[in-house]
Amino acid sequence: MDILAQAAGLVFQPYVLLVIFASACFGLFVGAIPGLTATMATALLVPITFFMDPVPAIAAIVTATAMAIFAGDIPGALLRMPGTPASAAYVEDAYRMTQDGRGDEALGAVLVFSSIGGIFGTIVLVTTAPALAEIALKFSSFEYFWLVLLGLSCAIFVSPSSVTRGMISLLIGLFAATIGIDNPAGQPRYTFGNVELLAGVQFIPAMIGLFAVSEVLRSIVYSKDRPSVDRSGKHTVFTRQWTNIRRYPIQMLRGSATGTAIGALPGAGADIAAWISYAVSKQFSRQKEKFGRGHVEGLVEAGASNNGAVSGAWIPALVFGIPGDSITAIVIGVLYVKGMNPGPTVFINDPQLIYAVFMVFFLANIIMLPLGWVAIKGASTLLSIPNRVLMPVILLFCIVGSFAINNSVFGVLLMLIFGVLGFIMEENDIPIAPAILGLVLGPMLEQNFITSMIKADGSFLAFFERPIAAGLGIFTIVVWSIPIILYLRRRWAGSAASPKEDLPQG
Amino acid sequence: MKFNDFVLGVLVLIGAAAILVSARNFSPIPGQAYGAETMPNAIGIVAAGLGIFMVAKSALAGFPGRAVALADWARSPAAVVGVATALALIVVYIVFSERVGFVPIAFLILLVFMLTLRTRIIVAVPVAIFATILVQQTFGRLLLVPLPRNDFLSFLW
Repeated sequence: MDILAQAAGLVFQPYVLLVIFASACFGLFVGAIPGLTATMATALLVPITFFMDPVPAIAAIVTATAMAIFAGDIPGALLRMPGTPASAAYVEDAYRMTQDGRGDEALGAVLVFSSIGGIFGTIVLVTTAPALAEIALKFSSFEYFWLVLLGLSCAIFVSPSSVTRGMISLLIGLFAATIGIDNPAGQPRYTFGNVELLAGVQFIPAMIGLFAVSEVLRSIVYSKDRPSVDRSGKHTVFTRQWTNIRRYPIQMLRGSATGTAIGALPGAGADIAAWISYAVSKQFSRQKEKFGRGHVEGLVEAGASNNGAVSGAWIPALVFGIPGDSITAIVIGVLYVKGMNPGPTVFINDPQLIYAVFMVFFLANIIMLPLGWVAIKGASTLLSIPNRVLMPVILLFCIVGSFAINNSVFGVLLMLIFGVLGFIMEENDIPIAPAILGLVLGPMLEQNFITSMIKADGSFLAFFERPIAAGLGIFTIVVWSIPIILYLRRRWAGSAASPKEDLPQG
Repeated sequence: MKFNDFVLGVLVLIGAAAILVSARNFSPIPGQAYGAETMPNAIGIVAAGLGIFMVAKSALAGFPGRAVALADWARSPAAVVGVATALALIVVYIVFSERVGFVPIAFLILLVFMLTLRTRIIVAVPVAIFATILVQQTFGRLLLVPLPRNDFLSFLW
């Protein structure tokens, strides 16, 4: 109890609270702009944190990160330009809701359930971090291989158009991920002698191109056909969420738990968590047909999931000093600089500091609600700006965002190529989101497969020899089999009902 | 440009063939059965299966839909000019930003794009100036992105 009081004393100081508020505003700003990432926000904060004590330094980073991940949903819902790959899972639903005049409800759902997911993840972090980290450490390349494959499969099965078109998109993403020298064999692939291509296709310029630039182009060609957005002035950011909590309690808890568990795995993170949660939500929903057409259920589950994953990622980082993603990698560096060496001893040597950090997690997820509301209200004015003014400004943001990744115009070139590709894909009803997931997870899939094969001396059976790997593997195969079985059953039922009609059904 | 399932299937098959052929240039890790060629081969094989499935399904259904259909917007000169302008302006940034500097290029992109979309000049000019300065200040100064500079506007940095 004494330790908790000391920790509270460290956090509830005007200076620390001011730092939390300022970094929250900074995180919201960075996250809401396509091209600026939570990682970039963290990296930019590092030099500033050098002048701070440990608690405000960590508070600044934790708050900015949580805010940036939520804020990525704002351009997703309003403009169909998700700020992060994690937001891409449910961007279609969120955007359709905005088109139906329910933008406030969509953003409110993402905000409230992001906060709930984040708080759930923090509770797990506080109570069971060491035990969870033990399990996470048992994951080897075999388990990761199946997990990544499961994430990729989900991307196909949740695609609002056909499975074949979802697969085309995924294969495009996976192919783009093979470009460069960063593969287990270290051989340059598809670089055509270009030095910049050796580093591969960076997913941020690709994502800006596929989502944002293609949307700019679509806004030009479909300016008259697009449904106008009805904003009736009803304030449903929070009011509708109480109904959603009562209607979807299982989805909320399942999303939070899935996100936290996946986030706790080093290297997995919010992207896979959001996709798997969205797919699970769709699979167990009574209104499957509404997914991808402006339905809030997937937003509840996947929104809670990706922020749960953000909190979950801190479990291996704080308990073992193993970074789960690039953000926690930066934070581990900051912790070392501040003398709080992450690892089991941090709980013994500096318990008041670590509890203060936990308190900051709660504060960051709670402060998200009022500040997120302000951000939603502010950003919603975007919709009142005519496309002919808004789109050129967005294009400039896209250019600068792509440039900022490597401070090179090569990023802008990538953005252009993927922008045209995204536009052509959309014209042919090929969903864009699976391509992004393929691009993000492709290298992980390859790395884990090759590593596993080297370990197992080429034996495929090794993928089923470890208990967790076998469970994940069987689950993945079941996920693949269900649509085939359903298709065959439909065909069989169809041919039994009308024996003359034996053409395949669409 | 909209393709039906048959043409899309053929395009996927062509892509699969290209990937599979190119994968022959890559070799396994020394002493191992797998390496740089594994992933392209896997993608190529899955793509080939997908292409065959799409072509077969379309053929069995009697090749529904037109092979290649021009989208309605392609008949509107304003839409075509708008798309071409947007793409050309990105190319202009890629080619000239280092030489001319960020501020003039950004202003030019905003102004030309807005005028192409028929924004009135009285709106376009102030918005272009304001947005350029906003982006330059936030990215160039606050976020320390090394945007290309030019001498005569150095007071902005």
